[in-house]
Amino acid sequence: MRKAPAKASKVNIRDYEPIVGRSYIEELRMLADKLSGKTIQNINSTFVGGGVAEILSHLVPLLNQLGIDTRWHIITGETQFFEVTKKFHNALHGKIEHVSDNDFALFLETTEKNLSELEFPGDILFIHDPQPAALISKKKDIGGKWIWRCHIDISHPDSKVWQFLKQYIVNYDAVVFSSPNFVQELPIRQFFAPPSIDPLSDKNKELLPESIDAILAKYGLTRDKPMILQVSRFDRLKDPLGVIQAFELVRKNFACQLVLAGGTASDDPESQEVLEEVRERAGGNPDIHILSMPPESDIDINALQTAATIIMQKSLREGFALTITEALWKAKPVVASAVGGIPLQIRNKFTGLLCHSVEGAAYALRQLLANPDYGHWLGHNGREHVRQHFLITREIKDYLLMILALERNEDIIYL
Amino acid sequence: MVEWLRFNWLSIAVPVLVFFGVFFISLWLRRIVYNALERWLKERRAEIGKIAISVTKNPFLHWLLILGLYIALQVSVLAPQWKSLGGEILASIFIAYFGWILIRLSREFIALCLNKVKAPNQAITATTTITQIVIVVIGVLMLLELWGAPMVPIIIALITAIVVAILILRDVFPGMLFSFQLIQGRQIKSGDFIRLESGDEGYVEEITWRNTQIRTLDGKTIIIPNTKLVKTTVINYGKPVKKATEPFHFSTRLHLKELTGLKASNLSQLVSRLKEVPDAVIYYHTHSFLEEYQFLTPEPANDFALWVEEALGYEILAERLASIDTFEFPTIGALRQRIIGVMQDFLAGVTNEREAPQDNEFHFIKSIDVVLPTPYVAHDLREFIDILRKISINSLYFHIFEAKLRLQRGTNDFSMWLEDCLGEKELAEQIARLDPYNYTLENLRETVFQLCKKKL
Repeated sequence: MRKAPAKASKVNIRDYEPIVGRSYIEELRMLADKLSGKTIQNINSTFVGGGVAEILSHLVPLLNQLGIDTRWHIITGETQFFEVTKKFHNALHGKIEHVSDNDFALFLETTEKNLSELEFPGDILFIHDPQPAALISKKKDIGGKWIWRCHIDISHPDSKVWQFLKQYIVNYDAVVFSSPNFVQELPIRQFFAPPSIDPLSDKNKELLPESIDAILAKYGLTRDKPMILQVSRFDRLKDPLGVIQAFELVRKNFACQLVLAGGTASDDPESQEVLEEVRERAGGNPDIHILSMPPESDIDINALQTAATIIMQKSLREGFALTITEALWKAKPVVASAVGGIPLQIRNKFTGLLCHSVEGAAYALRQLLANPDYGHWLGHNGREHVRQHFLITREIKDYLLMILALERNEDIIYL
Repeated sequence: MVEWLRFNWLSIAVPVLVFFGVFFISLWLRRIVYNALERWLKERRAEIGKIAISVTKNPFLHWLLILGLYIALQVSVLAPQWKSLGGEILASIFIAYFGWILIRLSREFIALCLNKVKAPNQAITATTTITQIVIVVIGVLMLLELWGAPMVPIIIALITAIVVAILILRDVFPGMLFSFQLIQGRQIKSGDFIRLESGDEGYVEEITWRNTQIRTLDGKTIIIPNTKLVKTTVINYGKPVKKATEPFHFSTRLHLKELTGLKASNLSQLVSRLKEVPDAVIYYHTHSFLEEYQFLTPEPANDFALWVEEALGYEILAERLASIDTFEFPTIGALRQRIIGVMQDFLAGVTNEREAPQDNEFHFIKSIDVVLPTPYVAHDLREFIDILRKISINSLYFHIFEAKLRLQRGTNDFSMWLEDCLGEKELAEQIARLDPYNYTLENLRETVFQLCKKKL
């Protein structure tokens, strides 16, 4: 068994009061009081890297500060196990993967091993994503309420993998999805809780102007022209070439610069290839800056987002796109494709502009470059929208409410 | 001896007569003055005056004796140097005696005043000691002056000591003075409602020598040192207003979105599902836009109107659905019937139904509400409007929107309480008439606040 290293969180729940309001934190405390004495156990597959680990690293200490004993454990496995779960991940996203019977057998074998090694002190167990999903098979022996927290887009899953997992999922007390579109036909309760960002993390905290300038200088960027930015992995699904096309259409009438910032992943051989394609497509244009950034570049990304004039997310497919949440939190006007969970964050013409094509994206960019006040209004609305719905405090609230909702099967619960 | 008395009887008799004359006149005057003083004090029940009389009544007689002796000495035939010496001795006795009485008086006064405000014993002892030292120093200075001692260096030393003391205690003095003012009840009194610059506010429960205790609206007690109070801006709203027959307990409501698993990809399916889903689903889809974008001036559109326009492209139907005034409906059932009716009317004229694009289906979501009591309780209109500023928008939402439609209370909770428990019928009606769907939640809070404030 592996449990989260005990490290003191630098952030205190009170630090969120100036951001979400004192009354909001008071309400969290009231909710937490109702769950006093319960133990929440989170189980996923890694302490570092990836969105789930990032959310849990903030969520767990904050729940403990609210007085709820919250633990975080991970499952372990050989490399082959994680290769299988990577296939599951892709297949659930709708990608065609060859998953063999041996793969399923290895998955179950590793689950069994973890069941014998893990401790289950939780009264409520949040199991994150498919990797530990089959731990539910010992629910009768372990007891407690089990919630499967699915962070990935399973709107169009590969049938074979989903049917395999479903036989375990139906034994949970509830499942949580990040978008209503991911809902499945299941005999158990399904909740909708979008992911969140931490406004006090390196990626989202406020930076000093001089720090931002220093980071821009590090990448050879200046603020002499409006900056259009897309932050994303170099992945075809993020459509970096479409972004360049839209930029070139806009640049005919507006002096501006484009920054494509992102990383390449060692487990994604395609990303290096895409990066080369993007560089080639940019063709030495001095107004197009392609930045390949290492994984620990949170503050640099923060600085780029803060310095940008407009932020784009022209993805062809998208789960939720926390990069948009980050951009909106920085009160930036956002132009994004109407795919996946993006419309949950961007209500067209209220909190940003949605597009469906390169031309649509270029049109939206022109609107914003010509009307900065409109951009500010959208950015302001976007920030408020994030403040209300996509900060970590809301995710904490949803977790607590879910536990209470599972205890009572009523539409209105009086505490 | 007899011979000497025969020739000098007048020299002895005059001073003796003068002594007794002055003494008896003074005794008569003392009686009149003290009787008048006692009558005056009896009417006012002033504790301080009683102490002053009891402490000074007998010494006053002795001071008259000293006065009589002094005048007698001055009218005697003694040589001037003896008269002067005698006068100085009598004056010295008087100064010492008077000083001693002043010390006794100050000790009694200080104990009386500071005990009233529950000052700690250390403060009483310190104040008494300082006062005694001051009296002794002044007395000694007067004696030295009387006997012709050099005064300049002594006064310089004294002034220096006072300046040093002021410099050391410069931060403490304002607090002490303010404490006195507080104790006298000139600026803030027990029972007043005050708000501090820090945002803390509540009713003053007790003012002591060192601190002021206030009870906040959520029942907490805050103890503020008077030295801190003197440095901050305090708004004093004065005494409480009319009490409500029953207090208003503020609740709050947090909601969770539960996916029903039901979806619709065309209008017929939408109508069909709408007939069977629970009220909690109808409630969610007619209020989610308002809640999600509560910081914007809301379009009072429901999710159905948005979906038929964006996913199906039925603009006319969208307009008809958006124009349904949710505020009109007393129950969710009635609202559901209207929505279904509008859709069915439109469907009757549709020949080829449109299908929503993939991933744009309508997903039916249910609102699960968790209602919690907050610590905020209003006993009168002032408390109510102060709490109105503090509560979360979730609490405001619960008492305005949920109370009327989801809990079917007929009107909002605020109007019910204002009318039933405070007798504020007009104000209750003004708030009940507000269409909350046309305000952002913060604007709604402000509007209700202003209406209540105007009434107050």
